[in-house]
Amino acid sequence: MTCDCDDLGRRLTQLRDGCLEESDCAAIEKHLAECPSCGGLQRDFEDLARLCRESERPRMPPAVRRRIEEALK
Amino acid sequence: MAGASEEPRALLYRALDEHGDRLYAFALRMTRDPDLAADAVQEAFTTALRKFDTFRGESNVATWLHRIVYSKAVDLIRQRGKETPLPEDEEAILGPEDDRLARTPAWARPPDEILQGRQTREALEAAMKQLTPLQRAVFTLREVDGMSTEEVASVLGMEPGTVRVHLHRGRLRLRALLSEHFKGVPS
Repeated sequence: MTCDCDDLGRRLTQLRDGCLEESDCAAIEKHLAECPSCGGLQRDFEDLARLCRESERPRMPPAVRRRIEEALK
Repeated sequence: MAGASEEPRALLYRALDEHGDRLYAFALRMTRDPDLAADAVQEAFTTALRKFDTFRGESNVATWLHRIVYSKAVDLIRQRGKETPLPEDEEAILGPEDDRLARTPAWARPPDEILQGRQTREALEAAMKQLTPLQRAVFTLREVDGMSTEEVASVLGMEPGTVRVHLHRGRLRLRALLSEHFKGVPS
């Protein structure tokens, strides 16, 4: 990974948020396709996001819900 | 979107039905303690009822309640006094340590049955506990709850650019923490 890769790594979250200029996006996408290290970072972020989307969310225990309902009366 | 003109108790009851589980899960990830999470959510609802006149419907009620839960959870974490750094102490600029984490070798590409398996979910939960409170908040709201960066910024009272810094750092740390789990996974 080179210094350019450091810069690209910092901008991956901006890229995923769609807040980069089109020309920057194209340059980064090209680099991601060519650089195994940065491409791996991007794919790991995608897997991490997928893992989170599909993870089970803890549910509010009924006793807590009842406490809140009482407090709202 | 629920409007501010709706009767406060009715609106908050409805919010409890629609968003209660999300708010509790968020509080639990923040505090890492079921009792504290319950306190944070209950206090958030009672505060929301008491200060309903400050809710003007500019954000939706879910965002507003997440903001109050976050504030309550941070207060409880601060009172517990064991966790550092607290959100106000976090560096909001990416630096060499972040770059070093980015150089962690990429995961073996996990097949779906591994990625979605119980052991991976447990590894993710364990790794999440090692994030700082702010990283946990940003990551949970953005990646688990699916809020936009702008919504996360509204909940946490910070600029979207600052949210992205903490989100990036949280992603890097989770990736590094989970790399041991994925080591040796057949791709």
